[in-house]
Amino acid sequence: MKKLSRREFFGCSAAIGGAAIVATTPVLSSCSGKEKGARLIPLQQPGEYYIPELADKAVEGRELKAGLIGCGGRGTGAIDNLLEAADGIKITACADTFKDKTDEFLKKMQDKGQALTAENCFVGFDAYKKVIDSGVDMVVVATPPVFRPYHFQYAVQKGVHCFLEKPIAVDAKGYRIIMATAKQAQAKGLAVVTGTQRHHQRPYVAAFEKIQQGYIGEITGGNVYWNQGMLWYKERQKGWSDMEWNIRDWVNWKWLSGDHIVEQHVHNIDVFLWMAGGIHPVKATGVGSRQRRITGDQYDNFSIDFEFENGIHMHSFCRQIDGCSSNVSEYVQGTKGSWNSVEHAIKDLQGNIIWQFDEEAAKAEFLQHDPYTLEHVDWVNHIRKGEMLDEATQCGMSTLAGIMGREAAYTGRTVTWDEMSAMDQDYLPGDADSLKIGPLDLSKYTVPVPGEARK
Amino acid sequence: MSGVAVGIAFAAGFHATYAKTSTNEYCMSCHVHTDADASWKQSVHVSNRSGTVTDCAACHLPPESMPGRRFAAKTRLGVKDMMAYMFKDSEKIDWEAKGELEHARKIVFNESCVSCHANLYPEGVSDEAVVAHLYYEEYEKKYKLQCISCHLDAGHYNPDYRHESMKTVPVAAGPVYETRGELTSFADFTETIPGTTAAIKMIAIPGGSFIMGSPAGEPLRKADEGPQRTVELSPFFMAEVETTWDQFWAFYRETMSEGRTAPETVYANNSRDDIDAVSGPTPPFGAPDQGWGMGARPAITMTHYAAQTFCQWLSLKTGRKYRLPTEAEWEYAARGGTSYPYFFEGNPKKFSSEGLLKGIFKADTAGMARNVIYAANSGNKTHEPARVAANPFGLKNMLGNVMEYCSDWYSEDAYAALQEGAVNPSGPQSGTEHVVRGGSYASDAADVRCAARSHTEHDAWLRTDPQNPKSIWWYSDVKGIGFRVVCEVPQEIIEQ
Repeated sequence: MKKLSRREFFGCSAAIGGAAIVATTPVLSSCSGKEKGARLIPLQQPGEYYIPELADKAVEGRELKAGLIGCGGRGTGAIDNLLEAADGIKITACADTFKDKTDEFLKKMQDKGQALTAENCFVGFDAYKKVIDSGVDMVVVATPPVFRPYHFQYAVQKGVHCFLEKPIAVDAKGYRIIMATAKQAQAKGLAVVTGTQRHHQRPYVAAFEKIQQGYIGEITGGNVYWNQGMLWYKERQKGWSDMEWNIRDWVNWKWLSGDHIVEQHVHNIDVFLWMAGGIHPVKATGVGSRQRRITGDQYDNFSIDFEFENGIHMHSFCRQIDGCSSNVSEYVQGTKGSWNSVEHAIKDLQGNIIWQFDEEAAKAEFLQHDPYTLEHVDWVNHIRKGEMLDEATQCGMSTLAGIMGREAAYTGRTVTWDEMSAMDQDYLPGDADSLKIGPLDLSKYTVPVPGEARK
Repeated sequence: MSGVAVGIAFAAGFHATYAKTSTNEYCMSCHVHTDADASWKQSVHVSNRSGTVTDCAACHLPPESMPGRRFAAKTRLGVKDMMAYMFKDSEKIDWEAKGELEHARKIVFNESCVSCHANLYPEGVSDEAVVAHLYYEEYEKKYKLQCISCHLDAGHYNPDYRHESMKTVPVAAGPVYETRGELTSFADFTETIPGTTAAIKMIAIPGGSFIMGSPAGEPLRKADEGPQRTVELSPFFMAEVETTWDQFWAFYRETMSEGRTAPETVYANNSRDDIDAVSGPTPPFGAPDQGWGMGARPAITMTHYAAQTFCQWLSLKTGRKYRLPTEAEWEYAARGGTSYPYFFEGNPKKFSSEGLLKGIFKADTAGMARNVIYAANSGNKTHEPARVAANPFGLKNMLGNVMEYCSDWYSEDAYAALQEGAVNPSGPQSGTEHVVRGGSYASDAADVRCAARSHTEHDAWLRTDPQNPKSIWWYSDVKGIGFRVVCEVPQEIIEQ
């Protein structure tokens, strides 16, 4: 594993060895003297990982024009968060597949005193281009995730900063577009934030820093959960075409959402990959099924065993069924202790809490604690300071890990990262620019059955 | 004070010299390689829409951002080039071979490639390139991947180098055979493959016993060649030459599977008892003949599975039982009744280019060159069988030209596990790599001895294949591998 060699190289012992001739004492004191005098070996050195500044409000600066692509609940919410996060933001354009959605958003914006006009509310599958070409500096992309790679690609081509709601792809082709586009965005110095808001949630960020400093030692495994009740669904209405029904009911359709392990549980998978220092699984084996979902072609539960290069395992567990036990959290085990997001605490191997996020202190120090707002603070700060920010690469990898879990369960096979990353898989029913509201071949959208029947 | 001035003058002079000796003109003043100059000018590094010209030193030295490495490399290569300029005749240098990946790896610095090409995912990048570059980033260190592993023609244009899947299938000229070859007695015959223009000359190899392996005292011997064992073999037919491109393309044309059928599905289809057509190779990436020519040259770079599938297809087409030789059959046939290190007399040490003094005293190829295509006489490529004499059985290129697949799994101590006097042995029950024998055009004399053993290196031979799953038909990182077929003697002939 890449991390190991770096850790060994930068470890305190190496530092002492190298610096002994110059000055022994200061080096020694900087390496010891942590909790109980135990020497901490960092997973990564400061500077090798990103810790966001979690300021209450974005810096003052030039006025920024923002557009919204996908005027659903999350998109509208993200715009609220953006306006809360920073002053000097003008919402100037929006897009959706359906006019009732842009109308609703237009009214909301006018109520808030925003200058958005009906002429700048675009409808249709190509409406995203009109928003991006309307002269916006930044765009919030919150359509069903199957479209995300194409929207990201066009925005970066035009040099527009992006907020991409997670997940940022649903298939292997989309993943590759994301990874390539992320590099192009880096080259252009764009700021890209991805809606994996735990990266801007104070207790998570604090724990991440502790874990990188070596508080739980080397990572040896983990468990991540998103178990909750059933999400919303929409029965087909009279007059809706197949496409309209699918999009309005998108969280229940594989091709639009990537299934709930990708669409929702990506958050928790992402936390493990992030905490472990940006690694990715090499193999996945799992099960999943559909028990009580009403519409669409998705499963409603998955249980996946992810394996990493050095042999460690992470178990991922997600369920969307009413009346079952709920749990949305992450747990990471290390050689010296563990961290969990239920208590936001680090425990030693005996179960004693050796560190816990100090909520009271944070409340005394800061006013803003909503991670959905804080991620926009960070985004706007990077834009105003002209600094590059790339969350798409990490979120892209987490998204592919989710896809990997899904494919493992759908097929019943052990699947590999290399296989997933190179796979010829494109969930869009046709070319991204030629989609229309109309009929779809719904017979293709069946609930996957793993393995094969006994012959 | 004057010391400082001298120092400054020296430094300035040094810098001027350093800069001057890195210009294209300076490089070309010693590098009298007209073809390389011309191919560079035709390459995308000169001939491109942006008008950018990438100089010799930009690729053939480490980047300027690594001054220490650059200076060291410049010194090392400079001394080498000067020696070559003074003591070697440019026209006698095999410039073509210098352009092959094996050599190019040593004189092209990957750090230099990526110092200009910092973003492997520029706007407009194709999906295929993203797949390949994600793979490169993931495995660069593990497999020691270089940019030129896939972009060998970036600096020097090569019309035969293709960065794409092969589109058209070469067809050998000649009449299409309607029936299989005639075989009425145990004698040499020509197998004609119905529905194709391909034929295979088969040599009747009499049964008998021989001593397999090499004696402990054989020069340049390796441990896996012993202990020697007496082995008995039934008669069989063996192809006179290594399977040619003409023969292999006949197979490919009839069985080629376009698209990417999952390997499991291919294996499952091909192993059915009632099969009437096999699934064959997918189109190879690039030029599988390496630009050396096709026709009667041995077909190369196919996997062991592809070679086996060729035999399966040939058996279906002819109604005879074709297969790969066992390791024992191969060595028996290669020796042709002799028991020297080669099938002719001679000391391997004399023919070898390896060893302390061989840098000064060239290998003596007399006696070897007309029998074997190997490192000292191949010009680093395969050759047509007509270049060499046959062995006492009438077989050509058993030693050298291309390594040949056997059906056995490789095991270092395979002979120790063999019974003295074993009849038709077929090697270990299981394994991970297959036996390959005979060495290749790139081998030293040590490795083209009759007893020399080697084996496939499946993962290493596929390291730059970015597809997933990786090809089950074509290797991406080995060139000198091929095979020849054997035909079992039909029952009615045995009964005669």
